[in-house]
Amino acid sequence: MDLLDRYLHAVKFWLPKAQRQDIVSELSEDIRSQIEDKESELGRALTEAEIEATLVRIGRPVLVASRYLPQRHLIGPALFPIYVFVLKIVTACYLVPWILVGIGLLLYSPGYRAAHGGGWFRALGTIWGGFWMTALVAAGAVTAVFAALERGASKPEFLENWNPRRLPPVRDPNRIPRGTSILELAVNIVFASWWILFMSTPTVLNRPDIQITLAPGWIYFFWGYLILAAANIATAGANLLQPNWTRTTAGLRLVTNLCGSALFCVLCQSDILLTISLAVDGATNGQKIADAINMWASRALPFAAGVGLLVLAVDLRRLIRVKAA
Amino acid sequence: MTHVTDTSSAYENLRLELRRGCLALAVLAALRAEQYGYSLRKILADRGMAIDENTLYPLLRRLETQGLLVSEWREKDKRNKRFYRLSHDGKLVLKQLLADWQGINASLSAVL
Repeated sequence: MDLLDRYLHAVKFWLPKAQRQDIVSELSEDIRSQIEDKESELGRALTEAEIEATLVRIGRPVLVASRYLPQRHLIGPALFPIYVFVLKIVTACYLVPWILVGIGLLLYSPGYRAAHGGGWFRALGTIWGGFWMTALVAAGAVTAVFAALERGASKPEFLENWNPRRLPPVRDPNRIPRGTSILELAVNIVFASWWILFMSTPTVLNRPDIQITLAPGWIYFFWGYLILAAANIATAGANLLQPNWTRTTAGLRLVTNLCGSALFCVLCQSDILLTISLAVDGATNGQKIADAINMWASRALPFAAGVGLLVLAVDLRRLIRVKAA
Repeated sequence: MTHVTDTSSAYENLRLELRRGCLALAVLAALRAEQYGYSLRKILADRGMAIDENTLYPLLRRLETQGLLVSEWREKDKRNKRFYRLSHDGKLVLKQLLADWQGINASLSAVL
């Protein structure tokens, strides 16, 4: 019975001290009775392999012991969905911006790179390590708060006392609020008017004290954005009349945003600012300012592309949802 | 293949759920007469309600903690065994549960 003793000892290890002996004595009695019954049925002593098979059937010691323990959880089923929801919010509103800011600083701030190890890879490693530490602390803090809530009361008050009238109204994701369409229409009309009035020629500012001239290629951007504004006005107008996203309007919005983002990325890279003439500082300083602005515009490309991709993902999701509906 | 596996897994889960509710009632009913763990298991198995040791002993402990059973260690066949029987409260609860069971059985029969 060496095998049985070893088994019982292993079960005992996982049991609460106060009940250990009692539970193991009872389990031992049961298993010995099973073995005796089997032996009298076979008319011989069980082999070690047969005893082993019996113990395997009963189960791994830790599992057997766990059946005697109270069901325990850090965060119970009532709070768990809220816990997951809060973790998602923390990820979206804290961790994602954190990593994006870190990457931005890594790309554009030599001082930041120098302070975090010097080279690109060292700085990236430091940011990555810092990110995981931040993520762990954030997740740990949320978990600790929910675990405290779970321990504090069997059912938190906000789960017990609630009013169905306070539930948010059901929102149709394909419905476009009229206020949104009106605002969109107004913004695009104002933008298009300003664009036509002030941005139609490469010389966008021509005062005695300052002249700003854009590159000749500006004309393409002018017409490009004007057409996009017209398309947005058409979409907003259609949405005002038919306040639900349709395949046509959702598709048109996707195309205009795609074109707008692509155009903006090209604009960032095109050294669009040709000259800035300042009456006080003279042409040399003006040219330096123009070059600096062009350089920063060029450096803004990854951000512009990132924002563009985000907008396109939202548009694409909308289009898929409309198609599914 | 996946559908078949899902169906059999769903059946197994539902069967376990169905049995879980009945087991406590069967154990309480069987303990109207004093039994020790292994003899109780054999009685239940003979009557078609087989229950494994990992389910029975934790259940007996829960029922005893709830005051529905009383137990004592005694020697029988040269071995110490723990004998269980219904407490006074256990008898009252069993009576109520049996009434509920009959009600559920009648309702279910009407539905079926």
